[in-house]
Amino acid sequence: MSQTKLGLSALALELGAWAQLAVAGASDQALATYLAAHGGAAALLALFALALLPAGYREPRLPVLLLLFAVIFFIPALGFIGTLGVILLTPWLPRLKTPAGFGSVELPALDPHERIGGAGFRQPGMRGFLSNATAPVATRLRALVSLQNIPTRLASPLLRDLLADPSEDLRLLAYGMLDSREQKLNRAIHRELRNRKEAADAEVAARSARKLAQLYWELTYQGLVQGELLRHAVGEALRYAQEALAADPADANLTLRLGRLLHAQGRNDEARKAYGEALGLGLPATRVIPYLAELAFEARDHDEVRRLLAVLRDWPGMPRLQPVIQYWTRT
Amino acid sequence: MSHPRAESADIALLLEGTFPYVAGGVSSWVNQIIRAFPEYRFALVFLGSRPGDYGPAKYALPENVVHLETHYLHDFWGGAREDVPALDGDAEAFARVDALHDLFRAGADTGPAGMSAFHEVARDLMPGGPLTLPDFLHSGQAWRVITERYRKYCSDPSFVDYFWTIRIMHRPLWQLAGIAHRLIPVRCFHTVSTGYAGFLGALLRVSRGLPLILTEHGIYTKERKIDLYQSEWIRDNRNVFQKDPAELSYFRQMWIRFFEWLGRLCYDAADPIIALYEANRQRQIADGAPPARTRSIPNGIDLPRLAALRAQRPADNPPPVLCLIGRVVPIKDVKTFIRAMRIVADRLPGAEGWIAGPAEEDPAYAEECRNLTESLGLAERVRFLGFQKIHELMPRIGLVVLSSISEALPLVILEGYAAGVPTVSTDVGSCRQLVEGLDGEDRALGTAGRVVRIADPQQLAEAALELLGDRAAWRGAQAAGIARVERYYTDTLMFDRYREVYAGALGAAAQGSGDAWRA
Repeated sequence: MSQTKLGLSALALELGAWAQLAVAGASDQALATYLAAHGGAAALLALFALALLPAGYREPRLPVLLLLFAVIFFIPALGFIGTLGVILLTPWLPRLKTPAGFGSVELPALDPHERIGGAGFRQPGMRGFLSNATAPVATRLRALVSLQNIPTRLASPLLRDLLADPSEDLRLLAYGMLDSREQKLNRAIHRELRNRKEAADAEVAARSARKLAQLYWELTYQGLVQGELLRHAVGEALRYAQEALAADPADANLTLRLGRLLHAQGRNDEARKAYGEALGLGLPATRVIPYLAELAFEARDHDEVRRLLAVLRDWPGMPRLQPVIQYWTRT
Repeated sequence: MSHPRAESADIALLLEGTFPYVAGGVSSWVNQIIRAFPEYRFALVFLGSRPGDYGPAKYALPENVVHLETHYLHDFWGGAREDVPALDGDAEAFARVDALHDLFRAGADTGPAGMSAFHEVARDLMPGGPLTLPDFLHSGQAWRVITERYRKYCSDPSFVDYFWTIRIMHRPLWQLAGIAHRLIPVRCFHTVSTGYAGFLGALLRVSRGLPLILTEHGIYTKERKIDLYQSEWIRDNRNVFQKDPAELSYFRQMWIRFFEWLGRLCYDAADPIIALYEANRQRQIADGAPPARTRSIPNGIDLPRLAALRAQRPADNPPPVLCLIGRVVPIKDVKTFIRAMRIVADRLPGAEGWIAGPAEEDPAYAEECRNLTESLGLAERVRFLGFQKIHELMPRIGLVVLSSISEALPLVILEGYAAGVPTVSTDVGSCRQLVEGLDGEDRALGTAGRVVRIADPQQLAEAALELLGDRAAWRGAQAAGIARVERYYTDTLMFDRYREVYAGALGAAAQGSGDAWRA
């Protein structure tokens, strides 16, 4: 409403200014009066025009206002009529057509597979990528093939996931890769079982038992057996480890392995004892203490965890364990 | 035993590594089909690898098999060294071979150009044509093509391996051309796989212009791929700088492409192209089969004969016997079955695992299975029975177990159902459809067992224990199985549909041979 008033006042004032000039004739005073009235009208019209300008043109306010004022004030008559015309008529003019040729389409179902689980081809990214059934099969096949070059322990959970994949090609390739890894170990186990059977003396038999303990452990460590078969493998490894230790009780490495096997079976007290013995037999603290700390953690004895890990604080190695050590030994 | 010979026959069956020398699902099916059509005289062309790989025939030949010939595709090694004259080779024929391989490299989309190029080369390949085996083995032209393609494409540094791979791969093709040339006159061809037999079918189709029927049980190309993915004999000579970690070794890729193309050439020549169930039909289309020529015809079994076995079953609880019926080969994943038995044996005292199937096909694998049985301490609980007669076996077992990593539509599941034995099977091929049903009406019949993931002994064992441990569940599965097989999978349904197929093919053959072939 106020805009209309502004516009009408501007028009009235301007007309008044012109009428006054026509009546009063060419005197300095008449001109001064005209200029004052014209200036007022220009100011009013500028305000009016500003209010009607599309939002994008209104800012910055003052310069726009000054520009409008200048156009109206310094171009007599035409400036006024022009501005008024532009402001009032433009909304009625047909809009400029947007260029034709764009039809509307539905949004494509974009698949953010590249972004799942972080970027890059590091292990978590790989898992996300491989398990994403909507990514192109050929690309996933390539990713799968490249798993051949990473350690079995890291690859086998990924491969196992793929055994239920909807794409048969992936399923079969994953199966083939898992199977060939497992086959190697099982062949070695069988060879060793035969060696043991044919062993001529106790020493050879003990050596063979040591190897078997190692091989069965490897099956579990590389993630190639699951569920009850995992338990079975741990049991076999334990049996052979005990047998080998009976022949050579001073074998520190094997004592540590025994501890880990007992640990895996949940026989934590016996495991602790074995770890202690391994330390006593001369294994460096760095190799045994992390497991002792794990046992303490499982027993909820957090002070003991702190105490044990504090021993490791000054060892520079063990990059993967460092964050854990730092966390537990913060003061 | 001398083979029957005849001057002519109605239908030539092209059989690669199956009936009558290998026992198994496909062989039983072939046996069924031949006996179902006594009105036709069959000629059998058996293709094997080496004579030593096969024992005597596992099946008595039906009366209407009037002709049997056997050929061994890898039986050319170890002969005396002969002096070979220097040969030039036909430059034009080798140029066509070169062009054909360019089309092969371009992938599946070669369209009619690829196929007509193949037809030309196939004619060159036939005895009397310009592309002879001695030329392939010893001519300057062959050397030129091989060395040029090695330089252009091979990403493996070893030329020696490349050279011999090419020779071993292609040599059987000439033998197949010879077989195609000499085969007695017949009225149509029926191949039960793609691969070499399918290629032979394609050659016959091109050279004689008679109809070719293809029935694919598993998908041959896929099964070859499984072998190739697992095989350790294919070398990779790339060093760490040459190796793209995401790329299979070049020779492995070569073998895969080779079998893919054998499959495509067969699909192009065959009409109709028959799959056992819808998913395999889709796979055939994806592998290059023209959709209009494909169809599915499921397997069927002789219901009355097997249903009689139900009366022989023990009346009370099912015997705690899990039986894997199938050849002892990697694709059946017998090891997963053995591992599952470790778990079953721990929890169900008295449970036994039987493996009923011939072990001669892959002695190394069978040995591995026996070793695994031993290293799992299962020697007492898992028995390798060798080939067994179905009707002697069925009444004595509690579950048919299938641990395969790939299957089509396994007859043993249907036979088990008919004889009143439910199934625990891996989720492959049409097994889910057989156990749980395909559509609403079929599903309403109930589940006839359990479906589990491949290579998951734990799940397999638990499913088996669940069924054997719960009498009501077992009975329910048994009833569902019987209902399903009676409704959908009888051999009379199957024979009716094949009667049409044969009538169509023989009708087309009678109309005149030449015009049936699309130019």
